[in-house]
Parts: sequence; C-alpha cells; structure tokens
Amino acid sequence: MATIALPGTETTAVQPVSKGPDRRGGRGGRSGKAGPVTYTLLTLTALVSIFPLYWTVVAGSHTNAEIAATPPPFLPNASLFDNFRAALDQAPIGKAILNSVLVSGSITVGTVLFCTLAGFAFAKLQFRGKGLLLSLVIGTMMVPTQLSVIPLFMMIADLQWVNQLQAVILPTLVSAFGVFFMRQFLISALPNELLEAGRVDGASTFRIFWSIVVPVARPAMAVLAMLTFLTAWNEFFWPLIALTNANPTVQVALAGLGSGYVPQRSVIMAGTLLGTLPVLIVFTILGKQIVGGIMQGAVKG
Amino acid sequence: MATVTFDQATRIYPKAERPAVDALDLEIADGEFLVLVGPSGCGKSTSLRMLAGLEEVDAGSVLIGDRDVTDRPPKDRDIAMVFQNYALYPHMTVGENMGFALKLAGVDKAERARRVAEAAKILDLSEYLDRRPKALSGGQRQRVAMGRAIVRSPQVFLMDEPLSNLDAKLRVQTRTQIAALVKRLGTTTVYVTHDQVEAMTMGDRVAVLKDGVLQQCDTPGELYDRPANVFVAGFIGSPAMNLVTGQAVEGGVRVGGAVLPVPREQLARAAAGNGQVTVGFRPEAMHLVGPGQGLPVLVNVVEQLGSDAFLYTKLADEETDDVLHPSDVVVRTEPRSAAAAGQKLWLGVREGALHVFDASTQQRVD
Ligand SMILES: Nc1ncnc2c1ncn2[C@@H]1O[C@H](COP(=O)(O)OP(=O)(O)O)[C@@H](O)[C@H]1O
Ligand SMILES: [Mg+2]
Repeated sequence: MATIALPGTETTAVQPVSKGPDRRGGRGGRSGKAGPVTYTLLTLTALVSIFPLYWTVVAGSHTNAEIAATPPPFLPNASLFDNFRAALDQAPIGKAILNSVLVSGSITVGTVLFCTLAGFAFAKLQFRGKGLLLSLVIGTMMVPTQLSVIPLFMMIADLQWVNQLQAVILPTLVSAFGVFFMRQFLISALPNELLEAGRVDGASTFRIFWSIVVPVARPAMAVLAMLTFLTAWNEFFWPLIALTNANPTVQVALAGLGSGYVPQRSVIMAGTLLGTLPVLIVFTILGKQIVGGIMQGAVKG
Repeated sequence: MATVTFDQATRIYPKAERPAVDALDLEIADGEFLVLVGPSGCGKSTSLRMLAGLEEVDAGSVLIGDRDVTDRPPKDRDIAMVFQNYALYPHMTVGENMGFALKLAGVDKAERARRVAEAAKILDLSEYLDRRPKALSGGQRQRVAMGRAIVRSPQVFLMDEPLSNLDAKLRVQTRTQIAALVKRLGTTTVYVTHDQVEAMTMGDRVAVLKDGVLQQCDTPGELYDRPANVFVAGFIGSPAMNLVTGQAVEGGVRVGGAVLPVPREQLARAAAGNGQVTVGFRPEAMHLVGPGQGLPVLVNVVEQLGSDAFLYTKLADEETDDVLHPSDVVVRTEPRSAAAAGQKLWLGVREGALHVFDASTQQRVD
C-alpha cells in the first residue's frame, strides 16, 4: 500500500508541461536517476517486507519437528502439499475463501459507494446540521469496536443472523474513515464550478453525483476500495464472534487450525499461506492495473 | 430569446455586513449584449449567478421574459453559462461536454450529434470532438465552453470573465469572435468583465457596478461622453480621465493658480454642496495654449506610442515650477511632440469637453 501516493497529488506530479531546458538538465530534479544508495535502501526494504511471507512458505513446507530444530531451516522443503492437505482436512478453507471473497467484496462495494455519497454530501452540499453530523461521524471513529460488540451481537442474535454472512457484512457497509477520506478528497479535487455547470446543464443532484462526482472521485475510490478490501479480508475479531467454523471466513477458519496439545505450526503456516494466496494473486496480477487506473484517473482528472 | 429584468434584486451573503448586490435594477432587451463591469469584488459575478439561479435572491426579483424565475432552479431557466475557468467536465470528451445538456434534456442521439457537430464547426472544433479537455490548449478549452453554451440555443447566455484566462493577444482576438458570434445568433447575453476595454468594445450597453450598487447603464458612447458620477468617469477610458477637485470661484473652478471656466448656472448647482467642485477632462480633450493662459503643468514622463504620445504631467505653480499636486494629469498629443520631461506647459481644455461633478455628492452636473 505504501507505494500508492494519495490521489490528487498525482495531478501535479505527472503534468507534462515542465517547460524550459534548465528543468530537464537540472540535477536532482524529479526526473533524476536513482543512485546506488536508493537501490540499496529499496532492496533492503523489499527484503524486510517479503521476509514474513517467505518464512510462511519455509515453515509451511517443513514438518512440525523440522521447524522446531535449532538452527531453524532457511530453505523451503518438500512437505508443503502434505501440510496443505492437513490444513484442508482440519478446516473448511475452501468454503472460507469463498465466504471471504463474498464478505470482503460486498463490504468493499458498499463502503466505496456509501462513503462516496456521504463524502460528497459533506464536501459540497448545503444542509442543516451538516457540521454536527460530520462531528458525529468523526466521533464514531473514537469509539473502540470492543465497546459495541455486545449490543451488536444481541441485535444480530435477535435477527437470527448468527453464523450467517450478513452478520459480518452489514455492520461494516460504511465506515467513518471512508466518509471523511472521500470528503477531504472531494473538497479539493472537485471544483464547485463543475457542479454548477452540471446544474445549469439541467442535471439533478443524483445525476450530478453519477456523471460528474464519481468520475472525479475515481482515484480516491480505488484507494478506498483497496484499503477496505484488505481490512475486510484480514478482519478477525467480529467474524470470530458472529460466525462459527461451520460457516467461517478465512481468518476464522485459520483460527481453528493446528489446535491440539502441541500446536502444529507447520499446518497453521500452510493454511495461512492458502488464505493469503488469493489476495496475493489478485493484487500481483491486478496491482499494476489498479495503480494504472488510479494514475489515469488522476491525470485525466 | 428573451428579455432579462432585475427588479430591486439584492443578495446579502450570510454573515456579510453589506449586500454583495444592492437593489439592482436593470432591464435587458431581447437580443441585447449587456456587459457588467466594475472593479474586483463589486458584485458582478454575484449578479450573474443570481440570474443563473446559482445564488439566492434575498430581496427583489429576477425575470426572464415575462416569467419570474426568482425561485426557480437553474435548469428551469433555459440559460447557458460560460465560467471563468470553463468548468469543462474533465472525464468527458469535447463532444460529450457539448452534448451533456442535450442528453439531459432527452434529445435523441442523432439530433444531439448533429447539433454538436454544427456548433463544433462554427467554433472550429470539429477535429477535437474526441479529445479530453486536458489535451486542449487554453483557447480551445475556451471555445469548448462557448460550444457547450451555444448547442443548447438557450434564452440567455451568461458569461463570467470568459477571456480572463487567455493571454493578451488571444483575448483581443477571441473578444471580437465572441461578439460577432453572439450578434449572429441574436441571443440575449449578459457578460461580466473587470476590463473596461472589453466592456466598451463588446457591449451594446454597459452597466458599471461599484460595491454592489449600479452606477450607470448606458451605451459605451454615452458612458464615455457623459459619465454619471466621478467613479464612472475615472473607471471608463484608458488612460483614465483627469479628475481634479477645486474651489468654485467667480467664472469657474480654481485649480492650482488657474481658473477653469465653467458656465455660471452649472457652477452654481455643482457648488451647492460644500463649494468644492470636481472637474474632469480626458487626455485627448486638452491642447497647448500660450504661457499664462491655462493650466500650468510640468512634464514628468513622455510616452511615445507611434500613433500618438501621452504626456504624464503634474499640476505646477504659475510662477515657480513647484509641483502643486502629486496626481498625474495625462495629456494626449501629436506623436512627434517636442515636449520633453521637465518642461513647463500650459494646457487648455477643449470647449464643451469639461465634465463637472458636485464634489460632495460625486454626481455629474450638466
Ligand atoms: N460565497 C460567498 N460568501 C460570502 N461572500 C461572498 C461570496 N462570494 C462573493 N462574496 C463577496 O461578495 C462580494 C462580491 O463578489 P463577486 O460578485 O464575486 O465580485 P466580482 O465583481 O469580483 O465578481 C465580494 O465582496 C465578495 O467577497
Ligand atoms: Mg467575479
């Protein structure tokens, strides 16, 4: 995530108008080449970031006894598929992945849509109680999740939703952070004249939202979508309470792995790898396109 | 096409002490090109936005044709607006930008394409219809903004400083093109600018605003020849009219050591306030006279323009060469004038070219 600059900043960064020869030839300008120091630092950062994943592969491909040895192994071994099998036997990981895709996908679509709507309203529309409502929204960010878990669970229980996916989807369909994030973006990225032009052209507020606001907000929506999807995928606390191992999300399923008198760390690691793989694959394949989409949105604006 | 009427229209922004637009009364004829001009912050944009329906009207009313539109939203007013920064939809192509309003109005696709193509042809934009605004030059964007207005064939065009983002040369060119285009379409137009040259060259009539109050609305010629008050006199014309305040004396107004002749009856009315009278004379209304006969001035700077020359002078004492007043008196002379900096000259004001204002009310007296 760290590689994605905040939207809005790109607009100036990618403008192709840097005129004047002094700009091009100048040292240390934006177009300057990276030196050995930069490369070394970047390599180190990359290694540090990749290590946990690498260790998951290493640990997941040994038997439990092998990783307990001193010194621990540093190269992958042959037991990966045995461990996969063990993990799949112990928990419904296939179903869990499907559930997680459903849950994270719905939460992402909902959050992006509702946060953009609310962000737009707070950023550009005039209505009574706007300041108070915004403070309320921001205020909810300060309430710890733990505080609302019990009343929330009682509500879910009353609705007979325990162990059903809507129990984890519905409470997170909109986020205060997302509303605030979209508001901040739209305040600066969406000129009032654009909305006024829309009104003079005869568009309703809703039409203005779809045809003018959403295209402008796209880069921020993409960032919010990625953040939301990852957060939802990794969410553990509430799903663990609302769901059971009969109908789990990935994180809940993983929690049930390798439990016994001696925790089977290799099976846990193999399962974790299985649970992470879908997200990893999606972001490696789509990452370029997502970032590309963001950049395109920002430049064409 | 339609007339436009502002009837005592007033806008007071929340928390503002005084109105941004104060009881504006203006009648704009069908097909007329009216320019709203005035210094920055005088309420031009606010007036225009009240007509557009983008700004509330706190008192009075706004009419388009015979219809009171004071409380109607913009889309019910059948107007098109050109914004200062053009406000083109960044993610739509030029064609889509121009066709958006038609699309919203439910015009079918073929008809839309035809009208967009027609407008694009008029504005020389045909080859850019598939481009995004980002990929256009400033002048081209300006034309797209115009195009977006004309495809709709609205009742009224509203333009808020549409040329202020262009460079000086393009601005002069585009100014003539817009004026010609609007004349040809015959659509009622309200045009806002802070540039008095733009106002004078484009407008059928020009309305001068100051601090939210309408000062005068007249043809460019009338505005120039008979400014209603000191503000309009100083605002219209470049270089500006020379304005000097002096004591009314027998036969005229004393300016420095000299007396500028003003007819007795006119003088009496102008001096009715506090005895002080402001007189104005344009740079081209002056001629050189013999020593001791008119206003003595000291030449400060000579500006040679080729077609003519401007002398920037200061009022001087009759006998000594002391400067009496720090403000400039600008004089237009022959291009090859022999006047040089430091020289003392005597100026006369051409017959009938003296503007007289009551210094206490600032109003014109004829
Ligand atoms: N949205 C607003 N809120 C409060 N005051 C405003 C607003 N817009 C303009 N004003 C004030 O109203 C006056 C007129 O503004 P405006 O019509 O934009 O002037 P201009 O003649 O430069 O177009 C100015 O003093 C300005 O500060
Ligand atoms: Mg303005």
